[in-house]
Amino acid sequence: MLRAGLRSLTSTSPLNKPDLNTARTYEQLKAGVSIKMRMGCILKIIVASPSKKGLLVRARGLASEVNEAEFELSDCPIHKLDSGPAKKAVLTRDDGLHFYRQMQVIRRMENAASTMYKSKVIRGFCHLYSGQEACAIGMQAAIHKDDSIITAYRCHAWTYIRGIPVADILSELAAPCMLMYEVNDVKYDLSEKLKGEGRKNGCSKGKGGSMHMYGHEYYGGNGIVGAQVPLGGGIALAHKYRDNGQICVTLYGDGAANQGQVFETYNMAKLWDLPVIFVCENNGYGMGTSVERAAATTEYHTRGDYIPGIKVDGMDILTVREATRFAADFTRSGKGPILMELTTYRYYGHSMSDPGTSYRSRDEVQSIRKTRDPIMSLREKLLDSGLADTDDIKRIEKEAKEEVDAAVKVAQAGPEPALDDLFLDVYADDNMEGHKIRGCDNWIRQATN
Amino acid sequence: MAAQGWLRTMQVSMNYIWRTANIRGPSCIKAKVLCIQECRRTFITSIVRQAVPTTQILMPALSPTMEEGTIVKWVKKEGEAIAPGDMLCEIETDKATIAMDSDEEGILAKIIVPEGTKNVKVNQLIALMVEEGEDITQVEVPLDTDVVTNPAETTDHSSHSHTDPKESVLMSPAVRILLETYRLNPRLIPATGPKGRLLKGDVLRYVAQEGKPFTKPGEAEVTTKTAMPTTMPPLVTPLQPDKSETTEAKPVAPKPQSASRGTEYTDLPNSNMRRTIAKRLSESKANIPHTYASTNCVMDSLIQFRKGLSVKVSMNDFIIKAAAISLKQVPEMNVVWNGKEAELSGQVDISVAVATEAGLITPIVKTADSLAVAEISSTLKDLASRAREGKLKPQEFQGGSFTISNLGMYGITEFSAVINPPQACILAIGGTRLLFNADEKIQSIMTATLSCDRRMVDDELAARWLEAFKSNIEKPSRLLL
Ligand SMILES: Cc1ncc(C[n+]2csc(CCOP(=O)(O)OP(=O)(O)O)c2C)c(N)n1
Ligand SMILES: [Mg+2]
Repeated sequence: MLRAGLRSLTSTSPLNKPDLNTARTYEQLKAGVSIKMRMGCILKIIVASPSKKGLLVRARGLASEVNEAEFELSDCPIHKLDSGPAKKAVLTRDDGLHFYRQMQVIRRMENAASTMYKSKVIRGFCHLYSGQEACAIGMQAAIHKDDSIITAYRCHAWTYIRGIPVADILSELAAPCMLMYEVNDVKYDLSEKLKGEGRKNGCSKGKGGSMHMYGHEYYGGNGIVGAQVPLGGGIALAHKYRDNGQICVTLYGDGAANQGQVFETYNMAKLWDLPVIFVCENNGYGMGTSVERAAATTEYHTRGDYIPGIKVDGMDILTVREATRFAADFTRSGKGPILMELTTYRYYGHSMSDPGTSYRSRDEVQSIRKTRDPIMSLREKLLDSGLADTDDIKRIEKEAKEEVDAAVKVAQAGPEPALDDLFLDVYADDNMEGHKIRGCDNWIRQATN
Repeated sequence: MAAQGWLRTMQVSMNYIWRTANIRGPSCIKAKVLCIQECRRTFITSIVRQAVPTTQILMPALSPTMEEGTIVKWVKKEGEAIAPGDMLCEIETDKATIAMDSDEEGILAKIIVPEGTKNVKVNQLIALMVEEGEDITQVEVPLDTDVVTNPAETTDHSSHSHTDPKESVLMSPAVRILLETYRLNPRLIPATGPKGRLLKGDVLRYVAQEGKPFTKPGEAEVTTKTAMPTTMPPLVTPLQPDKSETTEAKPVAPKPQSASRGTEYTDLPNSNMRRTIAKRLSESKANIPHTYASTNCVMDSLIQFRKGLSVKVSMNDFIIKAAAISLKQVPEMNVVWNGKEAELSGQVDISVAVATEAGLITPIVKTADSLAVAEISSTLKDLASRAREGKLKPQEFQGGSFTISNLGMYGITEFSAVINPPQACILAIGGTRLLFNADEKIQSIMTATLSCDRRMVDDELAARWLEAFKSNIEKPSRLLL
């Protein structure tokens, strides 16, 4: 009955293609996905939910009548906990479409970065997040906007999720054509040295590049592997000290997880019961070493020893969201730190200089893309449950593409930072007006701000 | 056709702008960049009047240094579906053969640059993709694709040579320091590097050709001629025991390279000997606390004495003899470092630096203190000639308790030498020159500079030995003993 209903819903779309058939739906239904359908006047709900996704929602006709659906989540093994996160979660249509849009934008933004890199518009360090989208989006969906985030160099997606427009991110990535300064009548070319930094309209004013982007309660990309973990501990300590109810999500990779400073932070975080979620994004590899070759135990959620942990399917956005909700509640309530391992995968090489197929097979990458891709799995959820139809999907994809294409244009046209900008923003204090700072030799003394 | 021609011009100028963008000042760049954007937009819209919207696949830079590459093989065929992450083709870069993967999903509609094509420039259009469901037969190849394929290299970069004072000069930090130290104006120096980059060689060549130092108005003239070496002296300068041998045994200077471009370097492969010299001397200079002492020897008596001799012996033979008997008189100087402490050598074995094609070698005149000067002379002649033929036996150049290096025949006034470990001392001999003494009498003076391992030889001991050496060399009768 239900299946037939769904089929008729999805097949109303003229763009519906045979590969979007419902065979999968049926399997998922059998597997226990239950769908709550709310027939009736959806327009009312739209008016009642004033949301930033208004545009999307308003553009929607009566094509689909499903407004929320409940899904069974992937299993989350736990460590030193009595119980884990919820086993089921409700996804609203608004949220579903919003997540899908964010995923599409991130995937396309990273693709654009890759293409620009291959055209030498972006240079230097560049680490892409493709494949891991569900982690950032799922986590952000379950924390407050004032909760802190700190992550490593693979930070484009987080920057976007924390509210920085794609154009500002791509501009930050796009290296300047040139940068010169003049001393004693002689001009010096800095463009080689500064390759990897971006345009003036970038989110770090063109001075940060791929690994150094920041935002509200977002302590940025960090280039030193593992160094963000103690910093995250410090941010959590500040929250506890100020007793402001905020928490800090401290992310690191499977490679960083083997570092000593991570364990030092675990110790202090537990000793002082800091409000911190440690998140190990286990994408299977460090720079080129698989987790099996690098770690004595790959059960990263247990590696906090005395810190409770959860292992989470990082390719399923709903599971990530629910697990994060659980972890955030746990640590916000004063129970101290908690550790989440998100098992995920990166599609690109470690950075742009790594083709990514020398330590793993192309087949491995392609099979994950085909079977575990987080975007594909959310799309299926949306379509199969009737939360969205193929029109919605097409439209979102088109909008995401347009947003990123426009951002690429902005990034390529952006002006380079001015020479004197080099000396600005050196001090956190904003009353350093006119204070002179030294350049790389004694002849250069410039005012800062 | 007219449109095509116009397009070609746009391409050319676009290219030109990109390149000049690298060497112009920042203020004009903003405008240039905007201009590039204009060009690009125009370019793209002009070719995208196709029936089917396409995604252009450009030649990727698969390594940071890659400028062009070879498409070795197309893995996907026209009409084949492409998933993100699929390999499109194999590209040989300047470093390796690397797969080019697709970021996008779609159908490979048209291969524009066939496999096997060499020197495909980065960002050149190599293929077109369309979305799934589009008819690939409707895809039109952009007009004038060959313009993209052969970015016109019409801009002569050397034409940006540095006559325009507003124009900036590309240079490395080393060159910059050179210019700052010697206050040279980079714009007066012809640059030969890529994109007009000023190379260190350019600066040195300019100085060698007596280029003028750069002084700002009002600033005191600074003479750089003496401060600036015109050519680099070889690191280990060869020594000749006898003038007669100088002609046949010139040190081999690196062959001058094709002088046209200062950009080209020739790596001179290390010989085993060069490698050993490099290793031992850098160990020596880095690990041994060198201390130096010089003395001026009045050579008139010896010169006079030598003129009266019937046998032909060189000044160098006398110097060896004088050093040897001085070592006999001050035996604490005749020491070697055994790794922990000084060890007195039983014999006075003098190593004498001899230049050969392969580098400097130090054959040993054994028990030099007990040899007559004529014997020293014949021994050394034999050793030196076999050294140049590479026929010395190891025991003839390994060991020794003291070294003499003589650059007198090159007109060197004085120099200091690097100790030849495990020995404690090396004596550097300069050329004899005429000087007035306090009585305004002309004297022939030779400066001898002793380098000592301060761990074994105190300055006072070095001074005592130099005093002995001086009095020996100044009294030829002593050398006949
Ligand atoms: C202290 C330090 N050591 C080494 C590096 C070089 N490095 C950069 S990323 C990386 C691998 C880290 O892997 P992982 O933590 O798994 O993060 P992922 O790249 O997979 O997101 C290494 C070794 C560095 N940046 N900093
Ligand atoms: Mg990793």
